[in-house]
Amino acid sequence: MAKKKLKLPEAGQWPDKLVIPALAVGAVLTTAGFLMAFLYAAPVNGAALDSPKLVGDVMVTHQQLLSQKIFYFHMPVAIVSFIALVFAAYYGIRFLMTREQRFDTCSRVAMEITLLFVIFTMVTGDLWTRFEWGVWWTWEPRLTTYLILMLIVIAYFVLRNAVDDPERRATYASVVSIIALVDVPICFMITRLIPSSIHPVITREGGMAPDMAMTVVIVLVGMLLVAFALYRLRFRQARLDERMQALKDQLED
Amino acid sequence: MNAVEAKHLSKAFGIRKAVDDVSFELPEGAFLSIFGSNGAGKTTLLRVLSTLARPSDGQAFIYGIDLKEDPDKARECIGMISHASMLYPDLTAEENLLLYAELYGVDDPKARVSQLLDAVGLSHRRLDQVRTFSRGMTQRVSIARALVHDPRVVFLDEPYSGLDPHAVEIFDNLIESVRGDRTFVMVSHDLAKGFGMCTHALVMSRGRVVSFAPKDQLDYDEFARLYRETVGMGVA
Amino acid sequence: MARPSTLSHFATLLRKDLRQEFRTREMLTSMGIYALLVIIVYGAALALTARGIDIANMGGGLLWVLIVFTSLLGLGRSFAHEKEQGCMEGIMLVPLDRSVIFLAKAVSNILFILVVEVIAVPLFYFFFMTGQPVAPTLPAIIAPLLVGTIGMAGIGTILSTITMNTRSKDVLLAVLFIPLIYPLLYACVTATTAAITGTELWTDLFVMPLVLACGYDVVMLLVCWVLYDFVVSA
Repeated sequence: MAKKKLKLPEAGQWPDKLVIPALAVGAVLTTAGFLMAFLYAAPVNGAALDSPKLVGDVMVTHQQLLSQKIFYFHMPVAIVSFIALVFAAYYGIRFLMTREQRFDTCSRVAMEITLLFVIFTMVTGDLWTRFEWGVWWTWEPRLTTYLILMLIVIAYFVLRNAVDDPERRATYASVVSIIALVDVPICFMITRLIPSSIHPVITREGGMAPDMAMTVVIVLVGMLLVAFALYRLRFRQARLDERMQALKDQLED
Repeated sequence: MNAVEAKHLSKAFGIRKAVDDVSFELPEGAFLSIFGSNGAGKTTLLRVLSTLARPSDGQAFIYGIDLKEDPDKARECIGMISHASMLYPDLTAEENLLLYAELYGVDDPKARVSQLLDAVGLSHRRLDQVRTFSRGMTQRVSIARALVHDPRVVFLDEPYSGLDPHAVEIFDNLIESVRGDRTFVMVSHDLAKGFGMCTHALVMSRGRVVSFAPKDQLDYDEFARLYRETVGMGVA
Repeated sequence: MARPSTLSHFATLLRKDLRQEFRTREMLTSMGIYALLVIIVYGAALALTARGIDIANMGGGLLWVLIVFTSLLGLGRSFAHEKEQGCMEGIMLVPLDRSVIFLAKAVSNILFILVVEVIAVPLFYFFFMTGQPVAPTLPAIIAPLLVGTIGMAGIGTILSTITMNTRSKDVLLAVLFIPLIYPLLYACVTATTAAITGTELWTDLFVMPLVLACGYDVVMLLVCWVLYDFVVSA
């Protein structure tokens, strides 16, 4: 039967072997990225100074933005959280097609990772607005989008808690994860494209210098590996939990 | 042809199997009573057979129509009477029946509806909102609703809950009068009642079939004993 | 007995919703009163500032707050009858395309919200905006109101189908609904405000948001329409 051929993710399959290397490499890369952000990537110029000054051995004509270093973490974390959301919706679709509880577990765990990284994004993003723009909050497109994403992810978990029947819970959760994935890019596009006099759009445009891009990529890869390791660990725990529950049920019979 | 047939039917989610490998064949015109304790999977089995839930494994047929392949075709010959009336309280009895008649695409809905209202003895109340009806009357309208498209198989899901003895009697007489060659499948807690009406009996426990037999092969006392042993609770 | 067309299923279901509403007027009265109450709260909230500030710039936003919360109330009620006596199961037993249920319910929700808007928007104008010269572009707010209502009713219909089977349904509906319609809301508020202020370059702030809002409607309604079968069969 076709159904038996369906490959289900399970704790202890080959990706679990990669968890420890992934975690280690991820930690190394993230740390390396952290150091590079301060030592390798050139500082970014802020507002122009009245007169050139000598800082260290370098003559500078602009304020040097230390807070800009947040960017090297903010952006990768934001990207990882969106990738995790893509996976949550992907497993949501798989669930709706197969009705296998396993995919619901995957989707839920991916959503938990999304929540974690969205919270990181919000914290780093808010620090950024505070130090870069001098306000605690601004309705800037990216920040707004991530605030909305965070609220949707929280709503997803509130919904899960409010449904008793497991199959119904899994169906609803999958549907919401798919709607969320569609909604978030639209949200970004709309807040970005609409020229609004009410909410000033503050963006720093322009491509990244090679040293900046390099640092971002290294942190991004590191974060992805960490996210993957967390996902597998959490999935393993969730699966073992489910299997223990199954054993308990069998004992009762 | 068998009116209702299940082949290794299962309904599972994850590790929990609400219905586990159920197989039986029910000839046309039979009345099947399904017995079992709470959580034995009776209602889930009924939901799967009535296309409200999809089976996760195995097959189920209504007059040879595979429920997985063509549920809509099967729905045309399925009626359901449950403890919930499935009627809109703010609409009148007639409006409710007309709604379902039109959804099913019954020929000449008006005539069909008035004929059904006559059959359940509620013609005089046809313009009253269902909200104003007693529980027994609501359940009679519900019978009319279930039969509006003249289904060949009728499912009964705990139809007696909330009915007083008099209403139960009327309900039973009505079911008997509309019986014809229709096939009935009933889930009920009431052992004596379920056993009295049925031609076939099916006992479930933990999602599995414990026994399935035509009634003429069963002795009530023997059956009640088996029921008590396997089910243990909800004894008549 | 021939199976009726999808269109006649749609008409039958829609007629049922409308007939039920005309009989009880439950949703329309509760939404209408709620809208009036929000306006009264605005009256208190703006008591000290209403004369001083330029209400035109805030009008669009305030109007949409009114509409969002009023719609939320109506959407939360829209499946109460289906749930009450298990009618949803009765409908599910009928051989019909599940997305028809979505379309019929979404259309009835759109109609109810529009009726409430027809009452609430003039009231809002009457209470807050009569003291000022009216921009000639004001009638253009009909477009964002219509587009916004369609989108909100579409998303709201699938979400209230989900929440009708949950504990604490009303809160949950709000928690899911508001973040998901945020983009639509943002676009509609911008377009509405542009039409109310009617400055020289108002078309810039009107056309683009309106187009984006339409895009949101199309994408989201398609997604909801596809996913509805899963939701309602669960």
